Amino acid sequence: MKRQERVQEAWPHLRGRREFLRVGALSYLGLGLSDYFQLSSLMASPNAKKAKAQACILIWMHGGQSHLDTWDVKGNSGFKPISTNAPGIQISELLPRVSRHMDKLSIIRSMKNESNAHSEGTYYAMTGHMPTTTTRFPSVGSVVAKELGTRTSVPAYVTTGRGRLNSRSAGFVEPHYEPFIIPEPGAKDFKVTDLVLPDEVSVDALHARHAFLKLVDERYRQMENHANFAKVDSYNERALNLITSPAVRNAFDLSQESEKIKEAYGPGRFGQGTLLARRLVEAGCRFVTIDGWNKEAKHDWDTHYRNDYYVKEELVPPLDRALSTLLVDLEARGLFESTIVLVMGEFGRTPNINPGRGRDHWGHCWSLVLGGGGIKGGQVVGASDERGAYVAERLVTIGDLFATVYKALGIDWTKTYLGPGRRPIYIANSIGDKQGEPVHELV
Amino acid sequence: MTRGKSEGRRSRRRLPIPGVVLLAGSVLAALAVSGAAVAEETQPVESLRLLPGNPQIWGAEASQQFLLLARFADGLERDVTGQARFDLSDPQVAEVDAAGKVVARSNGRVVLTAAFQDRTASTRVVIDGISEERPFSFARDIGAIFTKTGCNNSECHGGVKGQGGLKLSVNALFPKEDYRWITKGGIYQVMSAEAAGEQKPRIDLQDPEQSLLLLKPTLALPHGGGQRLNPESASYRTLVRWIRDGAPYGEEGSEEIARIERLEVLPREVVLDRKGRHRLLVTAHMSNGRREDVSEQVLYESNDHEIVEVDEAGVVTAKGIGESAVMIRAAGQATSARFGVIARPLPRYPEVAKRNYVDEHVFGKLERFNIIPSETSSDSEFLRRICLDLTGTLPPADRVREFLSSVDPDKRDALIETLLNSPEYVDYWTYFFSELLRVYSGATLNAEHALIYEDWVRKNIAANAPYDRMARERLAAQGFSGPAWSYWTFRDLTPVPEIATEQIRVFLGRRLGCAQCHNHPFENWSQDQFWGLAAFFGDMTQIMEVEKIRGPYFVIDDIEGHGRRKDRSPAKILHPRTKEQVRPSFPDGSVLPDSRRRDLRMRLAEWMTAPENPYFAEAIVNRIWGHFFGRGIVEPVDDFRATNPPTHPELLKALSRDFVDHGFDLKHLLRTILRSRTYQLSGQANETNRDDKVNYSRALPRLLEAPVLLDAITRATGVDSELVVSDEPDASSGAPPGTRAINLIPGMVPSPFFEVYNRNDRRGVPENKPQLTLLQSLHRLSGPTFTSRLTREGSRVDRLLKEGAGDRRIIEDLYLSAFTRFPSDRELSGLEAMLAEQPSRREGLQSLTWALVSSREFVHNH
Repeated sequence: MKRQERVQEAWPHLRGRREFLRVGALSYLGLGLSDYFQLSSLMASPNAKKAKAQACILIWMHGGQSHLDTWDVKGNSGFKPISTNAPGIQISELLPRVSRHMDKLSIIRSMKNESNAHSEGTYYAMTGHMPTTTTRFPSVGSVVAKELGTRTSVPAYVTTGRGRLNSRSAGFVEPHYEPFIIPEPGAKDFKVTDLVLPDEVSVDALHARHAFLKLVDERYRQMENHANFAKVDSYNERALNLITSPAVRNAFDLSQESEKIKEAYGPGRFGQGTLLARRLVEAGCRFVTIDGWNKEAKHDWDTHYRNDYYVKEELVPPLDRALSTLLVDLEARGLFESTIVLVMGEFGRTPNINPGRGRDHWGHCWSLVLGGGGIKGGQVVGASDERGAYVAERLVTIGDLFATVYKALGIDWTKTYLGPGRRPIYIANSIGDKQGEPVHELV
Repeated sequence: MTRGKSEGRRSRRRLPIPGVVLLAGSVLAALAVSGAAVAEETQPVESLRLLPGNPQIWGAEASQQFLLLARFADGLERDVTGQARFDLSDPQVAEVDAAGKVVARSNGRVVLTAAFQDRTASTRVVIDGISEERPFSFARDIGAIFTKTGCNNSECHGGVKGQGGLKLSVNALFPKEDYRWITKGGIYQVMSAEAAGEQKPRIDLQDPEQSLLLLKPTLALPHGGGQRLNPESASYRTLVRWIRDGAPYGEEGSEEIARIERLEVLPREVVLDRKGRHRLLVTAHMSNGRREDVSEQVLYESNDHEIVEVDEAGVVTAKGIGESAVMIRAAGQATSARFGVIARPLPRYPEVAKRNYVDEHVFGKLERFNIIPSETSSDSEFLRRICLDLTGTLPPADRVREFLSSVDPDKRDALIETLLNSPEYVDYWTYFFSELLRVYSGATLNAEHALIYEDWVRKNIAANAPYDRMARERLAAQGFSGPAWSYWTFRDLTPVPEIATEQIRVFLGRRLGCAQCHNHPFENWSQDQFWGLAAFFGDMTQIMEVEKIRGPYFVIDDIEGHGRRKDRSPAKILHPRTKEQVRPSFPDGSVLPDSRRRDLRMRLAEWMTAPENPYFAEAIVNRIWGHFFGRGIVEPVDDFRATNPPTHPELLKALSRDFVDHGFDLKHLLRTILRSRTYQLSGQANETNRDDKVNYSRALPRLLEAPVLLDAITRATGVDSELVVSDEPDASSGAPPGTRAINLIPGMVPSPFFEVYNRNDRRGVPENKPQLTLLQSLHRLSGPTFTSRLTREGSRVDRLLKEGAGDRRIIEDLYLSAFTRFPSDRELSGLEAMLAEQPSRREGLQSLTWALVSSREFVHNH
């Protein structure tokens, strides 16, 4: 009730801003786009404004990153630990650049996944739930989009692809919070699908089309009050704005970055995707998921075969480069304090080396790193046993991780959404359907 | 055959409208003249009803509440119990108070008379067993208090995990467990049968008033749930007396204690005007054959507080226009009554033509709810709707012209038969059942196997195989047969309970996932029942030839373990709380005898698909009804539960019975629905049904599913979709021209269109019906489906231009192809004028094509 009053109060002010983002004759509604976005952010969590963090970048270690060769180096790793700029914290020698910024990041070494299989494990890591045949759960990105709303005309939740088992989707939550899906950044002809008009459609033709549509829709619009015209109108208007607004196009346009910075992030979809994530966050996006491996490398983090070779030659160097550059870049632009950076995959790798010199899936204990957005850096949370096989200290669940991210973003992490069959579902769901708790060492 | 029972006993005056088609215009005009409802006090009463009729009251201190219902001149029946005068023929036998409650005094018979205005109604009341004390029962006497006070509802101690360590079963469904938590103490754990913490009783036998059980709900001690119990109340005194008597359970070793077997509510359906109030009567049918008035002991709950509120005495008050159920719960049982709140009564309800029993049920309820159905659909509306619903295609322009110009009075029935026997029917219903039964290609179920599975579906549809047989084949599939692949989609990683949950959802329409871990909070399904069913899948094993990594695999129920690979041995089904091995058992508790323990899934399939099992037929009937109307009689269609009652229970029963009686013949079911006038109603609303969304008083728009939409765009634009078929993600090839999108199996079709429109991947439950998203709007502006396709050579516009067709002819052809109708004069002249203004005629027509396939009228079935 109160929130609605606030919206009402804000109304005259909002109307005054119409000129700013006008779409001209194609505006179907009495309300301009800027109003729309203002409204949706007013509807969002009231705490969000007080929080330091405004956005989150998730770099996804698709396939399951070997924790033993990156963040939790043990005697059974083929690589050596090195010291970092954070006192007492050691990481793999494969991450020399990141080692100079460990004061900005914290490592959780006691993560656990309920599954050892990619699809199920990914689903669990993205939603906090094992996949079931009866309910589709919302991904962490969709929850953030729903709770925080949009900041600008840039979509709130952007991801490369839907992820295994459609794990990056909105699940049972309204489709309004489905991710905005983009193709792989880094490709030569990279452009966001459907965001650029094809050559055969001129802006004039676009106007002509809408003039025809207005006439064609007229009869049904009068006849049917259950055909969601209002919703379609608002989406159509937003879509048109996305295509015509320079702000949005610019956000996705990597060509506006200098060669130097592109080079610094590294080539391919990993480096360029990380750069794009920064651009999107800068332009107002709330949650970006990008893939943390290069297609050219022809190998993801699923190193069943020749683990050490792929880790050393193909997988970790781009990570070292992109992540360290991102941290520096965010800081230089004053975005680090408002942007959470989260690097994780679905699980870790086995402590043992298999006959193919690879490491297999290992969900029992693994590591991830996160920092920025007010999350304390230079910390290590939890510990694995001497082989990195099992959690030795302070188990942290996916639900705890989500609660941490939500808290940093000013979202009430204790919230539940009503799922199918009136079942309340924690947005930070932990093992055994318990509510996750923020990692107090970090937030 | 069930027929509407409303005929005859209604005293409502009817408008003598001749003919088959309802003349809504004149009826509405008549309504306008009649104006708002006349105030109740000044209206004459036409008849009275006294409920319940001829009851028997049994036992000491027994009582019975009565209801007096008056039908007024405006056609509405109202609860006038509060304004009535009650009188008994013999005050020695019983007493009656002003509120209509009769209390027994001695055995005998009396006549109760109720008077209102100048009319009276009476009933005979038999009083018996006055000297018999009903023996104490924990479940009935104590459990009822927890239900009545709300202590055991699912938001409090009845919740999955209990509350504050105390766990009570919802509605006192499991009184033995409740008794243990109260008298023995300890903290409840979800996944273990053991209690945690100190085992300290929650009652104090020495000093009953100091029992935790009483201190908490009276707020003598802090209580998260607030005050639930007043120390002055009868419930409090009952609890104290019970503890003082040593807190007995009362039922041990006794056969004579009566349990509640069924609850009956009167009336089951009530129509209120906006100021309406109405009391409910609830009668418990006991296991000893007797009946008892439990109106004051049950818990009432409104399903939609914006429509009606209900107080603890069962008095329902109208809040807003619409329809809602009121749930009624008592020890282990639940029932519901349905309330409609209407703007104003329609005293001159028109005669509405009916074609079959579907209409009897639907229109019967509409009449009771004072909603007039829309007129019969136009031929255009009907043709487009049925083609999309039955074949997933739009009819070509020529066929539309042909149908619209035909004067055959039976052309609709003829069309239904033509479509039911068309190849497109087989395509579409193969798609429908492939969605339901999850035919998809993925990492574990490769394209080859998906095709074998789909082929099995297709053969069943083409032969119109009895649905029960199809279900049994699927459930009990063994070896390499098509449907056996269905189990492979679950992979060897998927636990047995997930498999069981899915079969119950698909074939019985119930979501029992919750019952895996605990007794279902909103259902009368226990965890034990769930695991009993899950155990039928416990012998299943998957065998793989090792040398071939991609198969063949096969599924077999293999008890002895012949040829089984070690790592694929049957799962031992352990009960998660007791950790004991579960034996296959049916929901009534009967355990499958060892002598029948072969081919377990067939034993389960036989039980599931038996004609006597009402769940099975109702589930598919409801699902198919939901397909045709956009809303199931139970909605969501796979969420049958006690707390989600059907909107038309009798219709659901009648359709199911008919379906079973006709040997589970799907085409018969479809034909029955499609021939009804209900299905053939127009989408054009009238004053009375504009806001009705649940009573099928008119056709409501339904968004087309992604593959159907893509096929419709193909038809309307005249350009094939460039569909890609792929076995491997990287090795794809174009599907042959003319391939329909509905025929492509998910996982084999990388398609940006399906990505944007979020096609069901068949790997989980599609949570949402087709929905609008921003990405779709964007795709319409600049995606290839809506851009390059339009300029393609050979498109409808291109062909017509080459034929030298004029604008008028082209517009007409486009409208017939996209909307199955001719453009109106206004549309035609408007579009001609707009086309004349375009710099390029071709581009103008392309813009028009875009507008047609982007319009709301196009993307909906209506």
